[in-house]
Amino acid sequence: MATAAASSLLPLHSSRRTPPIAGALPSSLARRSSSRLPVSSPFLSTLFTSPSFYPTSKRFSSPSSNFYVKAGAQEEKKKVLVVNTNSGGHAIIGFYFARELLGSGHEVTVLTVGEESSDKMKKPPFTRFSELVSAGGRTVWGDPGEVGKIVGTAAFDVVLDNNGKDLDAVKPVADWAKSAGIKQFLYISSAGIYKTGDEFPHLEGDPIKDDAGHVFVEKYIADLSFSSWAIFRPQYMIGSGNNKDCEEWFFDRIVRNRPVPIPGSGMQLTNISHVRDLSSMLSLAVEKPLAANGKIFNCVCDRAATLDGMARLCAKAAGRELKIVHYDPKALGIDSRKAFPFRNMHFYAEPRAAKEMLGWTSSTNLPEDLKERFDEYVSIGRDKKQMQFDIDDKILESLKVMVTV
Amino acid sequence: MAKLVAMQQLQPCHHIPLVSPSSSLLHSSLSEFSGTAVNISIQKKRKVWQPKGALHVKASSAKKILIMGGTRFIGVFLSRLLVKDGHQVTLFTRGKAPISQQLPGESDQEYAEFSSKILHLKGDRKDFEFVKTSLAANGFDVVYDINGREAVEVEPILDALPKMEQYIYCSSAGVYLKSDLLPHFETDAVDPKSRHKGKLETESLLDSRGVNWTSLRPVYIYGPLNYNPVEEWFFHRLKAGRPIPVPNGGVQITQLGHVKDLARAFVMVLGNSKASKQVYNISGSKYVTFDGLARACAKAAGFPEPEIVHYNPKEFDFGKKKAFPFRDQHFFASIEKATRDLGWTPEFGLIDGLADSYNLDFGRGTYRKPADFSTDDMILGKSLVLQS
Repeated sequence: MATAAASSLLPLHSSRRTPPIAGALPSSLARRSSSRLPVSSPFLSTLFTSPSFYPTSKRFSSPSSNFYVKAGAQEEKKKVLVVNTNSGGHAIIGFYFARELLGSGHEVTVLTVGEESSDKMKKPPFTRFSELVSAGGRTVWGDPGEVGKIVGTAAFDVVLDNNGKDLDAVKPVADWAKSAGIKQFLYISSAGIYKTGDEFPHLEGDPIKDDAGHVFVEKYIADLSFSSWAIFRPQYMIGSGNNKDCEEWFFDRIVRNRPVPIPGSGMQLTNISHVRDLSSMLSLAVEKPLAANGKIFNCVCDRAATLDGMARLCAKAAGRELKIVHYDPKALGIDSRKAFPFRNMHFYAEPRAAKEMLGWTSSTNLPEDLKERFDEYVSIGRDKKQMQFDIDDKILESLKVMVTV
Repeated sequence: MAKLVAMQQLQPCHHIPLVSPSSSLLHSSLSEFSGTAVNISIQKKRKVWQPKGALHVKASSAKKILIMGGTRFIGVFLSRLLVKDGHQVTLFTRGKAPISQQLPGESDQEYAEFSSKILHLKGDRKDFEFVKTSLAANGFDVVYDINGREAVEVEPILDALPKMEQYIYCSSAGVYLKSDLLPHFETDAVDPKSRHKGKLETESLLDSRGVNWTSLRPVYIYGPLNYNPVEEWFFHRLKAGRPIPVPNGGVQITQLGHVKDLARAFVMVLGNSKASKQVYNISGSKYVTFDGLARACAKAAGFPEPEIVHYNPKEFDFGKKKAFPFRDQHFFASIEKATRDLGWTPEFGLIDGLADSYNLDFGRGTYRKPADFSTDDMILGKSLVLQS
């Protein structure tokens, strides 16, 4: 039994790595483990619970040991609850994640905040929830504060909170999950909580802003001591079904031959990931709860683009000319948060923890992905839609730039 | 018995610099500038694996190694690591600089050990016939090519040593084609027209000749003895209490890698089958903005926060002079492949790395290029300054 259990503790590995000998410390990780803080190496934790070191390990008798997936055996199917926001850039994450889990044979319930009849449900990804239902998923609506009542007696293994930005919103969900014996709690936080300095990228473990709402949530979840918990910090996403404009902002201007006003130098670096990368990272965490436990993951692709670069890539995807106009928002009295979809600063994280701890790989390929996005943009007729560009016009007027109509 | 003890330590010591922890040669004591706990934990790890008086056993069998160059910067540190590892190391140089010089922080004993063992093959690598005959006569197992620029320089070496085990080349991340997507990965497109195309051509030649080669691509290298005025450029201005002129917005992101970390990477690929026919980006773990680098140099050297002046380089004609030591663009590369495949990680963070350079070099009054503020004065003289 001990041997079988030991082998079940070997992490499901990506093909790149050869499985470690039970009890032996893989030399590559022996060298590396001391230089990674504050996360612990899953291989090390495997080592210290394997029978050759501790013949009787408490871990073996804990209820959570039933949760370990046996290497090589049929993957355990999980019951997953996704608490999903009803708007904003993150809405799409829950949709892709649910779809991916359903595709892998897991049971998924998506609890969307608010009411099914609300106007917010008339926008994607909610307009595509039928895809989840036809794949065997359940979609419900309600107040996450009442999650227990909403799901009733349904039991779940995993909960993803893709909704709350502060403790008020997440605490009821986390508390319910803990009392309901949820084995794995995942939380979508934000890479926006990293303190900015002179060095980049933002890495897991780097200092974060003490006052950000997400920070309190992260700490609260950590302290609840789920069998497995993990935090995901995303940035910007593209993908079919997104609730908030990202690349569309550039397409809107490019197809109408309008200049693209970009605040500052245009050299600001940012991560723009395809949402499937976020979904695959979350799915991997569900598959590898031991490896993911207690970790923070920057939920981003592994390349950054400058703001000017993003404009260029969008123009190339659209096969159109591009004219970029830079402006100083302060000097023109413009609030760049209203005028432009990205932060006016370097905002750049790298997904090193996911690559190392989960064996995750990034698949975002902006040049290719943006082509697909542009094709959809045109197919829904958005290129022909009447639009106002009030703020743009204000900027251009201040800069006295000619616009060809 | 001593041998047995040494053998047991063989595995763990393999990828850790085999220099006694008390030596400040390879890692100056962490000053208050040490930012990250990363370095602290590595220090601790050294103590665990290296009790005092441990026999320094080489991990791979002793090789006959030739370093093309080796008296100026990278090679100075690399040769010491290799000699300490028990290899027979020869430097191929014209003999213009002394074959060995005692380094600041290096004890007399350490220096004596090194200088008594390092060998010299005097010659000009551009004399291809001489290279071929002298190398063939000596028969080397491994060649480290630290100063090669053109593929044509490498051919005589390959011709002379048909049984060579490995050719380890110092290339450059400068070969990457400029991209809107960063960081550069080893799989990225390269620029056949770049200033570093000789490096690319060398890599291609090595590959085409079926040699067991490994190529390392550093970004900007820094550290004591740097002959490229990277950190020195900032230190001169900080010392003179002058503002630091930075082109455009100062938000351009670059990457520095400590020479000692690079030297360790060079040692780690030696005899490493994983490294066969592979390129690796080798640099620091994090990247920094131009403005941030100015601040980091000040912090590392104990100067007050500098005044930074931004300017538009297009408004000036600096002639042949360089007004700033970095290319005016984002330029950084991912070291993930080296970390994943070789288990190499940089030991120096930016601040403590710059402190190491300052404490062992500029801070002692040594530098390679005297201060030249002529371009600064042109910039500062002009009343028009870019809004930051």
